[in-house]
Amino acid sequence: MQPVEAILFEPVGCLAEFPAEPFLEIASRVFGRERKPSQSGSRAYWHLLNLMESADRNLHVSELELIESLELQAVSGAAIYEDVVPALSELKAMNIQLFMASSLSHTAISRFLDGYSLRQLFSGAWDRDNSHGIKLGPIQATMASANLKFDRTMFLTDTIEGLKAAGACGVHPIAMMNDPDEGRRLAMHNPAGGIVSLHELPDFIRLLVAENAR
Amino acid sequence: MKNISIYKPTSVEEAIEILSRHGTEAGVYAGGTDLLIRLKNRLTQAPTYLVDIKHIDNLHYIKEDEQGGVRIGAATKIAEVANSDLLKKKYPMFVQATNMISSPELRNASTIGGDLLQEVWCQYLRGGYSCWRNGGHICYGAIGDNSYYHSAMGGRLCYAVYPGDAATALIPYDATAKLATPAGPRELSIEHLVPGDMMVDGRIQSHVVRYNEILTEVLIPAPKPNVRASFEKLRPRGVWDFAMASLAMTLELQGQTIVDSRVVFGGISGKPLRETAVENFLKGKTLNADLKDQAMAAALANAAPLKYNAMKIDMAKGLLASGLVKLSTSAATA
Repeated sequence: MQPVEAILFEPVGCLAEFPAEPFLEIASRVFGRERKPSQSGSRAYWHLLNLMESADRNLHVSELELIESLELQAVSGAAIYEDVVPALSELKAMNIQLFMASSLSHTAISRFLDGYSLRQLFSGAWDRDNSHGIKLGPIQATMASANLKFDRTMFLTDTIEGLKAAGACGVHPIAMMNDPDEGRRLAMHNPAGGIVSLHELPDFIRLLVAENAR
Repeated sequence: MKNISIYKPTSVEEAIEILSRHGTEAGVYAGGTDLLIRLKNRLTQAPTYLVDIKHIDNLHYIKEDEQGGVRIGAATKIAEVANSDLLKKKYPMFVQATNMISSPELRNASTIGGDLLQEVWCQYLRGGYSCWRNGGHICYGAIGDNSYYHSAMGGRLCYAVYPGDAATALIPYDATAKLATPAGPRELSIEHLVPGDMMVDGRIQSHVVRYNEILTEVLIPAPKPNVRASFEKLRPRGVWDFAMASLAMTLELQGQTIVDSRVVFGGISGKPLRETAVENFLKGKTLNADLKDQAMAAALANAAPLKYNAMKIDMAKGLLASGLVKLSTSAATA
């Protein structure tokens, strides 16, 4: 792997633990899907993105408002990981460009960034609204807008769908292995790498530099 | 196994020149009980050029120095260390530890230097998984079966435990290591020699020795008077196994008062883990078996077990308790 110059983050499951309930409620009320008893906010979120992607109709304004409202609930209920600020600050000091590349709404991402005072750590934030897409959309928008090199960019995700999205976009899919059992499932999908905690990211970047200099 | 070339230098200087020439493609070959297995396991980081240091005369000895300490050549066999009358007399705890390294057959082949600098024995690495130490960028131990070979004290990238016993037992004696480098000899403490999970020359390794450096000697200072020492090791089988948890401990006494101590855990972390919180707690205390409960409470406060290895922490604390009980009743000896 080439030395990395930029990292893209999906905040759900990578920067914070999001509650599953708001995403499950959207799936139920907008798409008529029975609620699954999943405790994982990430799984519920990516399940919802799959539903959005496969919807064969345009969503009504009232449905979009409901989605945005429930996503804001999810942001309010999210618990940011304690190593986010130190790890991202260290990465920024290493001149690594950091981007938010999320399928959440613009309002939700803004609330997340401002609520946790994270905005100054990121070089840009792409979401469902300003990228006009979900899953691959925010990643592709980030790559195009910042003129990033695909082989020097990572996308951090804690779901198989996220790994696939990153791979489809041509960036390095990196597994965020919050849970050992889920981590094993992620590892079976051949991510370019995997970390247990965000504090490992700076060392990951340094090792890539050292490996390439060897 | 890939094709390899073997050099047989007759001096340390010649060995360093060869190592420098081939970079990280070369590696020091002494006992071979770690290196040859890495080659057979087809690990990415296994060297192509082996620099056999067994033909270098001045790396194989156990001798007393003028200050009453002992110097051990890095290519000295573990069995020779374990059977040394000089070491038994001066550092019985260290000798006890070396007798618990691996099997008699392997102790006859492996060297003290090799034990200190050996690669981790994580089953995923040795099984050829593409992990941090084998050309990949993921730790399978962190998400897989981590009940035995993995750290219960957190990790950096790799979560494997440092496997050696010799370092754990040498640190309480404030032993040092001497390295031969292209810039001349360098001496550092054993604690600094194996700080665990380091990035050296673009690789993850447990020690700080660079590709063109050679560990030449271990120096143990003269034993202090009034020191009691113990080494205990828990392993899945009674013989021939790595530590699930181990403890090397020395207590320096004035009467029954502990004036200084060293408490070093093995088998639970990416390095021999010196537990200064317990050392500080013990300082000034009167040695007796009742210290064990408070010492256990002070120990390993930063424990961060993985999914399957929380018992390592209980084992380590148990060893601390039994070690203190044993030393409180034993005669003074190092």
